[in-house]
Amino acid sequence: MPLIILSSNSKEEEKEIAKKLLQVKGYGGVDPGILSEVEAKYHIDTGKLAETLEQTPSFFEKMMSGKWQYRLACIEAEVIERLMKDNTVCWGLAAHLYVVGISHALKVRIIHANQTRIENIVEQQGIPVQRAQKWLDTENQRRKKWSLAAFNRDETDPSEYDLVINLDQIDLNEAVLTINGAASYRKFQPITYSMKSLSDLALSAKVRTTLLKSMQDIRVQTIDGTVLVFTKAFKQKKIEKIKEIKDLAGKIEGVRGVEVHVTNNLFGDISGNANS
Amino acid sequence: MAIITISRGSFSMGKSVAEKVAEKLNYGIISREVLLDASNHYNIPEIKLEKAIHDAPGILERYSHKKQEYISYIRSALVDKVVNDNIIYHGLAGHLLLKGISHVLKVRITANMESRISYVMKRDGISAHDAHALILENDNQRRKWTHSLYGQDPWDSSLYDLTIRIDKLSIDDAVNFICQTAKTDGFTTTEKSLQKIKDMALACHVKAALVHDFPDIGVTSEYGNVLIYLKPKDHVTSKLSKRLDEIRHRKGTIYNLEVHAGIPIPEDAV
Repeated sequence: MPLIILSSNSKEEEKEIAKKLLQVKGYGGVDPGILSEVEAKYHIDTGKLAETLEQTPSFFEKMMSGKWQYRLACIEAEVIERLMKDNTVCWGLAAHLYVVGISHALKVRIIHANQTRIENIVEQQGIPVQRAQKWLDTENQRRKKWSLAAFNRDETDPSEYDLVINLDQIDLNEAVLTINGAASYRKFQPITYSMKSLSDLALSAKVRTTLLKSMQDIRVQTIDGTVLVFTKAFKQKKIEKIKEIKDLAGKIEGVRGVEVHVTNNLFGDISGNANS
Repeated sequence: MAIITISRGSFSMGKSVAEKVAEKLNYGIISREVLLDASNHYNIPEIKLEKAIHDAPGILERYSHKKQEYISYIRSALVDKVVNDNIIYHGLAGHLLLKGISHVLKVRITANMESRISYVMKRDGISAHDAHALILENDNQRRKWTHSLYGQDPWDSSLYDLTIRIDKLSIDDAVNFICQTAKTDGFTTTEKSLQKIKDMALACHVKAALVHDFPDIGVTSEYGNVLIYLKPKDHVTSKLSKRLDEIRHRKGTIYNLEVHAGIPIPEDAV
């Protein structure tokens, strides 16, 4: 039951490869279609969720409002829950950035070289090469900035993936065969430990979503059902915050225990006050 | 069949991958031999060539053009070695020096930092801290080198056809992927791609013959018609004319040789 996670700088081909893998493997797919279910569960407009996966708020917006982080956490929680269910191909939901440390997850990035992308832009939009180049540079920077702001990982860094396939000369069907072949390797078969790690990741995402609804600057790690929460608070409100976190997280199904680690942060507190 | 270049981060098992691919496909394999050939042919000490292709240019070197000169020699030796196909090059910068040839499969092998550190610790008997510092220094040199000479980042995966991380995927898995991909239509040597690499070899010879005195020139070749591009403000001097006459006589494969001044040097010029 391996898990294949795709990322790409060419969305259409990413989708096509995912669909072909679904046919070949008979797997289930987790794609941006699930955003409507995130909407139903968390009452956030699908359009807003799709925008969250694309746009990075300014530093000021991020500091003053935790809504962007909250929306990301909602998507993450829903995606990871689905990844636990069965053989899955996941694409278009940035899972490569938050499904980390899961040995049965095969991460593949599908790309085209910049030169090819520029040629495509020139052909499709009828604009000069220099403008296409500038547009592409901005686009590449935008994606890099987004992935760093959202999950502190650079999605253009090849070391984030097991395989990066450039479709300039490699046929799309060949890429499907290669991915399919890799997914069948023993290393990508789930084992008890990797399933437990995924289950811990799912619980972390659930806890984080619950906490981010009413507070900011939350990091969560789960080890065997014990949840560690790392946050910042104003000195006088430290005890109050620890209690609030323990109350909220403790009610979540599957949580065996909660440890809260608070560090002092004046700016975090100011923004927290502004948000409340 | 194909030419395969295997680039890797330092201590990322790229050499082992290259050796196994060569064995499986029954291809030739080269790396340092290119430097030896260039050293013999152009009478430059190998150490200087190695330094040129490994270390980023210093401030003074950027103005002296020595590094570009040495790289022209290395490139010429490399293209001569691979022009007959079915070969793997796992030395430095193959993906850049053989850019534009369709039957060249460009592979990048990466490994996670932990396994690179553990490899260096074992090999050199040094601490994890020192091993980490050594790897970072090596990576940094590669970045600077590629950036200063080609304006690109070696970690940019769009420079390669396939980037494989040796971690969950083993060396043998990587070998399988590379062999499988090398046999696909996209990397089959065609009459056109073979002609292109022969033209590249000729252009490299001409460039290598001129680069010492004329470091800023660009050279292209198409079916033996060689075009030499000068920088906009440069003129055809008597020294250049004399050198071109010598080259014409020496290289029987040149049908025509023209010099263009004042127009931009094409991207595919060597």
